[in-house]
Amino acid sequence: MERDLLRQSVSYHGENLLSLLKCEQNENPDFKNVAADLAKTLNQRNGLPYASEVMQYKDKEDTSPVLEQYIARKADLLFAPSWKSPTPVDEWQEESGEAYAIMPPLEQFMEVSFEERREFFYRDVERGDMLIGRINSVRDFGLFVTLLCTAGGLERDIEDLEIKALCPIRNVPSTGNHDDPLSYYQIGDLIRAGVKDIDRYHEKLTLSLYSSSLATHLNKVKLGVISKEELPLHYTRGEMVATDCNETYEKLLEDSLGLSNPLNVDYLMAKLGISGTQTPSLMRGLQSKRFKEEDFGTAIRKKQSVSWALKCVKTGVDHFKSGRHVEAMNEYNKALEIDTNNVEALVARGALYATKGSLMKAIGDFELALESCPTHRNAKKYLCQTLVERGGQLEEEEKLVTAEGLYKRAVVLDDTFREAAEALEKLQIRIQKSLKLKEQEAAKEQEKSKTVETSAEKLRKILKEEKRIKKKKRKRSTSSSTSSDTSSTTDDDSPSTSRKKSKKRKHKRRRSSHGSKKHKRRVSSCSDKTLEDDWFPAPPNTSASYINQKQSITKLLGEGEQSWGKSRSEDGRGRFEDGTDRSPENVKDGSRLGGPDANGEGASGRARNRRDSSSSTQSEYSHKSDRFSKECSSQGRNRCVSERSRDEKMERAERYSRDQDDGRSSVGSLKKDLPSNLVDIFSQIAEFKKDKKQK
Amino acid sequence: MSTQASTTVAANEARGRRSAEDVENSKTHFRVCRFIIETGVKLGMRSVPMATACVLYHRFFQSASLLVYEPYLVAMSAIYLAGKVEEQHLRTRDIINVCHRYFHPDSEALELDGKFWELRDSIVQCELLILRQLNFQVSFEHPHRYLLHYLLSVRSLMNRHAWSRTPIAETALAVLKDSYHGSVCVRHKPQHLALTSLYLALQTYGVELPRGEREWWQVVCAEITKAQIETIMSELLQLYDMEAKCT
Repeated sequence: MERDLLRQSVSYHGENLLSLLKCEQNENPDFKNVAADLAKTLNQRNGLPYASEVMQYKDKEDTSPVLEQYIARKADLLFAPSWKSPTPVDEWQEESGEAYAIMPPLEQFMEVSFEERREFFYRDVERGDMLIGRINSVRDFGLFVTLLCTAGGLERDIEDLEIKALCPIRNVPSTGNHDDPLSYYQIGDLIRAGVKDIDRYHEKLTLSLYSSSLATHLNKVKLGVISKEELPLHYTRGEMVATDCNETYEKLLEDSLGLSNPLNVDYLMAKLGISGTQTPSLMRGLQSKRFKEEDFGTAIRKKQSVSWALKCVKTGVDHFKSGRHVEAMNEYNKALEIDTNNVEALVARGALYATKGSLMKAIGDFELALESCPTHRNAKKYLCQTLVERGGQLEEEEKLVTAEGLYKRAVVLDDTFREAAEALEKLQIRIQKSLKLKEQEAAKEQEKSKTVETSAEKLRKILKEEKRIKKKKRKRSTSSSTSSDTSSTTDDDSPSTSRKKSKKRKHKRRRSSHGSKKHKRRVSSCSDKTLEDDWFPAPPNTSASYINQKQSITKLLGEGEQSWGKSRSEDGRGRFEDGTDRSPENVKDGSRLGGPDANGEGASGRARNRRDSSSSTQSEYSHKSDRFSKECSSQGRNRCVSERSRDEKMERAERYSRDQDDGRSSVGSLKKDLPSNLVDIFSQIAEFKKDKKQK
Repeated sequence: MSTQASTTVAANEARGRRSAEDVENSKTHFRVCRFIIETGVKLGMRSVPMATACVLYHRFFQSASLLVYEPYLVAMSAIYLAGKVEEQHLRTRDIINVCHRYFHPDSEALELDGKFWELRDSIVQCELLILRQLNFQVSFEHPHRYLLHYLLSVRSLMNRHAWSRTPIAETALAVLKDSYHGSVCVRHKPQHLALTSLYLALQTYGVELPRGEREWWQVVCAEITKAQIETIMSELLQLYDMEAKCT
């Protein structure tokens, strides 16, 4: 119990109250502590020398017994420390719009006497308050200000008190231009200043124009000279009241705009620190601790929503069991409208989605259900099953890594779910197997690369010769997009390659990209540069090996001579146009290029991987690829003999597209691939040559 | 006949004479108002809509008889109507839920069945009945905003530390809220009620305000007399006594 408050109350009301309090509150342990104190206070009050006067003063109003009775009964509430709500300390703002009616100080209406007002002012003013006054003299040690009114919270009627305050020069900020700061101020100016110091005994006030002298909640306010418009509203209204004696407090209040603001009650309650919905009460039955959480409207509504939603889910499940999926879905959606994120509804809807095949939606629903209720058995079970199913689907689509992720999640969720664990194991084995296969192939290619090297060397020699011949011719055409030279050169080779073309066309298989033609072109230019380079070692990236395999197959598909000739004629033109029948040829060409000259092949592979074309370089490819195509095609054919599973090819295709930007690796990988392809190609070329000779 | 009844009741109350029936009625009214305020708290109603609900109820039974109309239904409809009038719309579903639980503590929430719809229909129909009974005059002036403005004015008279340690605002608002248990809220002007609750709060703590030519309450309300304040105060305090008898 607040001791001081009780003391104040008891000394105000007298002994009757004390005796009543003792009566009513004798069970209250808090009161017992204070009771002794109170008795003392009363005795002191009665024993004071001027006690009789005090009593007389008090006798004007005899406290009614009913009031005392009420105070005594409710003392445990009234004087409880928790009864007082903490005052909010908010930033003082200029009341621009009238959220509530701002009234002049009550002192003015009450016509409190001069002396009392002065006394109360000096009692209540504190450091950090804001005052407004008029300068009445400027001395060299400071400004003398006659106070006009208070500002920033304290509201008093002090104008006629003619209180003078000093603002010493050290508290006046300089205006910056090295003049005497006081020269800025004139007699008669209105200034707003903060109270720096008070001498209550001598009734002296020291002001300051620095913002630091203000209390923290006021420190945004500008101090210094102000205009008449900036005078606080309570003062201006007070002036109005002083001049017009018809203006009473009531009338002023009724007429003010702020009173009609419908939200002023909430605003003012917040200003005073009282909650709008939890207003205090002195009735025993309305004390806040008597209210149970679950009796509140929102709590009941939540539980009711859950129960209503469950009803819908039940009917939905019935529909589902009888096969009426549409109605079931409707019921589930209705349930989720009533209660969003209802666990049962989500699980049921997820099951329905899973049955219908929309596995991703089902997984989404189950995950959501598990978020709100992580221990829901059905949700977990269904989620596991759906994850496994989805994993199976992904496996078929060759998205092994994603599938693995799903299986792992399923296993984590429910370790007793054997299927998931089994599927995960199977998948992991499969991944390992495929990895091993890749490695094996890579190893094979590595071996083959040695045997092929000899033929590669042969090709290299041939290439060098040709290069020398053609360099002269080619110099002109390297940069230009159109090259008549190259076309002429290509024309030279056309008869030889035409036969190859036709043969290649017969063996069409899967195509490679359009760009491979351009890649071909590039390859030749690259091969120009790279002829002298060493053969690049195979990179560790096994996936790249697939690219070569694929290319080898496409090589086989494409028919060398035909594509060859075509590619030549393509010089300088947009190669994009002739897509399909070029592409196998292109690939073949590319692969052919790679064959004899490992570098060249690598370059072609790289070119193949890069989809962008530079027609300028493409012309260069043509004659190079001529040579290569013959050799490569034969190898390609042999290559295709070595069977691989379709799946692997698909995977390779995937990785092929992935590795497009990886020029070097693809080059290297291509080289790895070449050896085995080259054998095929060489045999093919040999065949063609025989044919030619025959013809 | 109804208006006669109300004037007799009022006259009797003013004279302090109350028949047994009146006493019984006022107890019922007390209980029902307690029900309204409790429901209001559980629904998160603000002070002013809650006050409107109580005033609607009191005004209704000034001219209607308790024998004819079920007071709790009127109370529920009054809450619903007050929410609409004071722009704090409440759903009938929430009102029904809270009231049902008030009468059947710890029961399960109602199902969305025929009974629920019937309850809802009766609330809506009673709402129309209240409107007609009150001639569609359902917007009232409440003491709250006056009280808050008076509090600010009185605060300026006091020393800030004295103000911050004395819970005057809380007590005054509590007294005002509790005044809605009885018909005192409809028999006096809102300014007078506000003034009296503030006066009571100041008296409770023995706060002494400066005195000028006029007392603070004379300034705030020009024509009020001390006697009037005392009368209203005693009526307010009687309500606290009633609590012991009714609950």
